[in-house]
Amino acid sequence: MTTTTVAPPTGATPVDLARGFLTGGVIGVSLTAFIVGCALGKPPLIVGALALLAAYGLLFFLAGAPRRAREAALAPRTALALIEGMEAKQGEETDVPVRFDLTVAPEDASAFRIRISEGVHVSELPDYRPGRVLVVQYPPDRPWRLRIVKRPTPAWEERAAGAAIDSAPGPAAGDRAEGCAWGFVTLLGLLLGAAAVVLFFRAELFDRDADAQPAPPEQSVSVTSSSTSTSVVTTSATGTVSFGPGRSMLDRGALREAVESLTEGGDGKQALTVVVREQLLTVVFSPAGVDAPAFDPRSLPFDRVPALVEEAGTTLGVDSPQTWQLSADRVTGSLTIRVSVTGAGGSASLEADGQGVVVRRSPAR
Amino acid sequence: MDWTDWHAYLALGFAVLGVVVLVGYGRSLAGVTRAQRSVRVRGRIEEVRAPRNGGSGRGGISVVVSYREPSTGEEVVVTNDGERGETITAAWTGREIGVHYPRGRPHAYRFSDDPEAAGGRGLGWPNTALFLIYVGLVVVASIDWDWPWALIGVCGPWALIGVCYLPGHVRDVRRRRERLAAMADVPGRIVAVLTDVSSDAEGGVSRTVTPVVAFTTREGVDVTAHCGSGVADPAGAYGREVTVHYPQDDPAGFVLDHAARQRSARSDIAVTVVTLVVVTAAAVVGVVLL
Repeated sequence: MTTTTVAPPTGATPVDLARGFLTGGVIGVSLTAFIVGCALGKPPLIVGALALLAAYGLLFFLAGAPRRAREAALAPRTALALIEGMEAKQGEETDVPVRFDLTVAPEDASAFRIRISEGVHVSELPDYRPGRVLVVQYPPDRPWRLRIVKRPTPAWEERAAGAAIDSAPGPAAGDRAEGCAWGFVTLLGLLLGAAAVVLFFRAELFDRDADAQPAPPEQSVSVTSSSTSTSVVTTSATGTVSFGPGRSMLDRGALREAVESLTEGGDGKQALTVVVREQLLTVVFSPAGVDAPAFDPRSLPFDRVPALVEEAGTTLGVDSPQTWQLSADRVTGSLTIRVSVTGAGGSASLEADGQGVVVRRSPAR
Repeated sequence: MDWTDWHAYLALGFAVLGVVVLVGYGRSLAGVTRAQRSVRVRGRIEEVRAPRNGGSGRGGISVVVSYREPSTGEEVVVTNDGERGETITAAWTGREIGVHYPRGRPHAYRFSDDPEAAGGRGLGWPNTALFLIYVGLVVVASIDWDWPWALIGVCGPWALIGVCYLPGHVRDVRRRRERLAAMADVPGRIVAVLTDVSSDAEGGVSRTVTPVVAFTTREGVDVTAHCGSGVADPAGAYGREVTVHYPQDDPAGFVLDHAARQRSARSDIAVTVVTLVVVTAAAVVGVVLL
C-alpha cells in the first residue's frame, strides 16, 4: 500500500492575514464609532457605524460566495480509516471531545495520517478503540475537514467490518489552525481602528469631558500678567489682582490702580464685597439683574486704607501684627469697611464708614 | 437627538427592508429561490437501526433510506448521518419520507417527514423583513401619535388573522378529535432511554431525556419512535410496557397519553375563541382610547 502524509494545512497566508487585519479594523472602527456617536449624541455616526458593519458583512459574504459554492459543489470523498490513537476529555456533558489519530486509506489515493477532533457521545466511546476501522468523509481538497461517519450505509459498514488497514507513517497532520498570527493581526486591526476613531474625534471627546466637569458660573475669563509679576484674573463674577514679591496693596496708589484694573471700561461694575490683603485684592461683582446691596468699588476711600490698617495694628493691642485683611460691603445698608489684624497677641478689628472714619473698635482679647 | 432625524433613519431602514421584501418576492415569483430550485424525491426507509439505551437522541432514529435519482434513475442509499434536515423521530421499514437536495449537489441531501412537502417558496427572509416593517410601523405610530395605537397595531391585525383562520382551526380540531377517537391501541415497550447533557457558557447544564418506544401495529409494521411527551418519569422508563394509540393511516402520529390528548382537543376551540375575544377587545379598547 502506498502511504503518504497528507499535506499539512498551511498556516495563515498573507491574504488571510490581510483579511483578518481588515476585519479587525472594520470591527474596531464601527464599534468605536458607534460608542463615540452615542457619547457625542451624533446619530449620523451611529448609523454610519452600523451601516459600515452591515456593508462589510455583506461584502465579506459576497466575496466568499464563489469559494463556498465551489466547495459545496465538491462531493465529499468516503474512505476507511484506522484508529491509531484516541484521547477523550470527559466532562459533565455527554458529548465528549475526542482527539483521533487516524490512518485514512482512500480507494483511489495514497493512505495518509491525520489528527482530528470530533465530539462523540459518551455511550459510543467504547466503539472507538484504537485498531478499529471506521468510515470517514472529507472534502477531497481539504482532508483536514475530515469527519467520522457515525451512521454509515450498510455497504460501507460491511467494508469496514472486513477491512484491514496498515498504519501509515506519522507524524499526523493536525487540525487546520490559522494560528496566533491571524489572531494577532486581527486584534491589531481592531485596536488601530478603534484608536483611529478616537483620535479623529479627540477634540470633541476631550472638550466634552472638560465641559462635563462642574462648570463655574463665569462666562469669560481673562488672564494677564506684567513684568512686575502682577496677575489680574477677571471673570463676570469675580476679579482678583495679586501682586508679586516686593509690592503691597498699601503702597501709594497701588490699591486704586488694582481696583481700576478690574473695573476697566468704565461700565460701572458694582461690587458686593471687596477684600484686600497685603498682596491680594478680590472683588465679588454683583450679578447683572440682581437687586443686591452693591457699591462702586472705585468709591472706596483708598487714601485712608493705609492709615486704617496702621491704626488697627498699633492701637488695638495686637503685638507684632502679622497679617491684615480689609473687607468692604453694604450688607448693613451703608458702605462698611472692616479691618482685622492678627498677630501674636490675638486678633482685633475696627469698622469704618464709607469715608474711612473709624466708627467701632474691637480690641484684642 | 432630534426625533425628526430618527424618522429619516427609520425610513432608511424601511427602505432597506423593503428592498429585501421586493427582491425576495421577485425571486420567489421567478421560481429561483433555493427552496424552489431544490430537487425533491420520495425516499423509503429500508432499515431502522435499534437505538442504544443511554445513547444520544440527537440526530433522530438511525435509518437507512433509499431513493431513486431522477436524472439517472439509479437507486441511491443514504443514512441520516450528520445534519440532514428534519429529525426522523418515528421510523419503520417501508415508511416514505421526503428527500431533497440542491440541484447538482445530491451529496447535500436533507430529509423531511412529509414526502409530499413542496418545500415552500423560499419566502423566509422576505417575510421576516415584512414583519420587521410592520413592527417598526406600529412602534412609530404609538410613539408619534398615541400609545393606544400600539394596541390597535398589535391586536387589530392579529384579531383579523384569528377571525380568518378560526373556521379552519375549528375544522382541524374536529378532525383531530375524530382521529383521536378512531385510533387503534396496541401494546408497546420503552426500548431505550436516550440522554443528552449539554452546558452553556454560563455553566448552566441542560439534560434532555428521550424515551424510545417500539410497537407493532395491527398491520404488522414495527415502529420505533421517540416519545416527546406522555411518559411519566422518562429517565426510569426503560423496559416499561405502555399502550400506544396510533392513527391507522400514519403510525407516526401515535400518542401515549390518549385521554389527556382528548381532553386537550376538547378545550382547544374554547381557548382559541377566548384568546381571539381578548385580542379583539384589546384592539377595541385601543380605538376607544384614541
